Amino acid sequence: MKCYLGVDIGSISTKGVIIDDDNNILASSYIPTEGSPVTAVKKLIKILKDKMDDKYIIKGIGTTGSARKLIGLLLDATIVKNEIMAHAIGTLSLYPDTKTILEIGGQDSKIILIQNGIITDYAMNTLCAAGTGSFLSSQAKRLGVDIKEFGKYALKSDNPVKIAARCTVFAESDLIHKAQAGYKKEDIISGLCKSIVLNYLNNVGKGKKIKEPIVFQGGVSKNEGVVKYFNEVLNTNVIVDDNSHLMGALGIAILSKGKTDKTYDLNIEDVSFQTKARECKGCSNNCEILRIYKDDKLIDNWGNRCDKYIKN
Amino acid sequence: MKIGIPKALYYYYIKDFILFLEKLGVQIVTFDTTKEIIDLGNLVAGDEMCLSLKIFLGHVSYLKDKCDYILIPNIKNYGKNDLMCTNFTSLYNLVSNLFHVNILTYEIDYKNKLTEKEASFKIGQELGFSKKHIIKCIKKSKVTYNGNLKSKIITNMNNLKSSKKKILIVSHPYNLYDEFVGKPIIKYLENLNCEIIYSDLFDAKTTSEMSKYLSSDLYFKYSKNIIGSIVISNENIDGILFLTTFPCGIDSLVNELVIRKINKPYLNLVIDDLDSQMGVITRLESFVDIIEQY
Repeated sequence: MKCYLGVDIGSISTKGVIIDDDNNILASSYIPTEGSPVTAVKKLIKILKDKMDDKYIIKGIGTTGSARKLIGLLLDATIVKNEIMAHAIGTLSLYPDTKTILEIGGQDSKIILIQNGIITDYAMNTLCAAGTGSFLSSQAKRLGVDIKEFGKYALKSDNPVKIAARCTVFAESDLIHKAQAGYKKEDIISGLCKSIVLNYLNNVGKGKKIKEPIVFQGGVSKNEGVVKYFNEVLNTNVIVDDNSHLMGALGIAILSKGKTDKTYDLNIEDVSFQTKARECKGCSNNCEILRIYKDDKLIDNWGNRCDKYIKN
Repeated sequence: MKIGIPKALYYYYIKDFILFLEKLGVQIVTFDTTKEIIDLGNLVAGDEMCLSLKIFLGHVSYLKDKCDYILIPNIKNYGKNDLMCTNFTSLYNLVSNLFHVNILTYEIDYKNKLTEKEASFKIGQELGFSKKHIIKCIKKSKVTYNGNLKSKIITNMNNLKSSKKKILIVSHPYNLYDEFVGKPIIKYLENLNCEIIYSDLFDAKTTSEMSKYLSSDLYFKYSKNIIGSIVISNENIDGILFLTTFPCGIDSLVNELVIRKINKPYLNLVIDDLDSQMGVITRLESFVDIIEQY
């Protein structure tokens, strides 16, 4: 059977799916990246392989997410593409009528507006990671709550504390003050979830017409508290798919279809894949150059601002 | 005599004057922005200053032992409704307080009848050149400068007819042409097979007039010129990239104002001195994807 692999390597989690020709998900996995995309992807591929039976051949590989370029090299991917396209394509394959996609991931959050299946507009957070998953997970750690339980805690409260929503640095100090003042943990967590929603709508969704049907996805969509407040603030029911965290991976798998006749094997566990960083002394820019070695062979390098350091 | 000119902020607006200095026979010392220069700027700059100002101060710091004078223009206004960003007007005081350097000032104040010509004349005399030589050089530099500018504007206008996807970059020249801020972005977009339309390469009088269609009471001279380019090129472009350095007060106002009135796909990109280019690349790549769908 012909299959396609999509891998979405985010800052917090690494997602992978294997789909068939009709975009059915045959195997999927979702594991933490833990700051090491290469190790995470090796683990991910092993899990996916174990879930499949033997009669499949991989005819396309796509990578997306913030480590797409590196992992694209590791897997020798058919297509390497940014998250916007991947997310939109993934969601449209399941919900072709979607008009708005809200997405909050580990370090990026975005809004994608769609008309008749074509992306017409999108916005992303500015380069700071305000109001994203990494903020939630660091606050969960601070409060001593497992991030998976975070949403459930939020639902327990019917009195969310007010937390500044403009900037997460302010939000954090607000949160500490409230905690020290004696507010209950679930009220604080609930307030935090609400502030994420307000922050998102103020920063990313600013000036955008949010039309139904609305799909909410990305890692943070797994948080029931955030979903609740999106529904409350937008006065609607946002759609959260069971696989809402896999949309990027699904989309990029779909995009990898029909691009090549090549057949891929997924034996990367034993491939030695190393990166070495060094500062170039060629000029006073002192670019930090990352050299990538596959089985001790230099295959690429990047980080250079000029062309002096082209492959050698 | 060596005169150092920081290749930041003002540099891109006084090219005619720089040409005049060269014609006079002065040696000009100037460098492209590098990481080292940005780091030097960060050492002396306050935390609230915009990246472009930090780069400027970095240049001054880098130049200070490499020349006899540093040119710090002091342009107060170009008339009643043509004002400057306050960062620009503070440069002279800022530099004279932060550094012990010999400063050469190029002062323009239209409200008090101090035009480019008078300012050039004044400096020429200060540097000890004869009246005759100065007048000759002002004339010569003007002819060369206008000729250069005209051919650049023509190229820019011709690019509007290109068959590639055309992206108008709305940004101040000190961002557009900076080795660290704009150049990498332009290079990246060109590699994605886009045609770049420069917002500063249109006739300044026309853009200033055209800007009234977007805002009738804007009083920042440089902003008028760059947003006027949107009105002129709107029919022919496929998308607009607003390129701003963090935290530019004027752009945060003007861009918001303009964004509400345009009907093209746009990307508002705010740059700070992040070392990793990945975030920028993701945004540019997806922007081009969207344009190509149309």
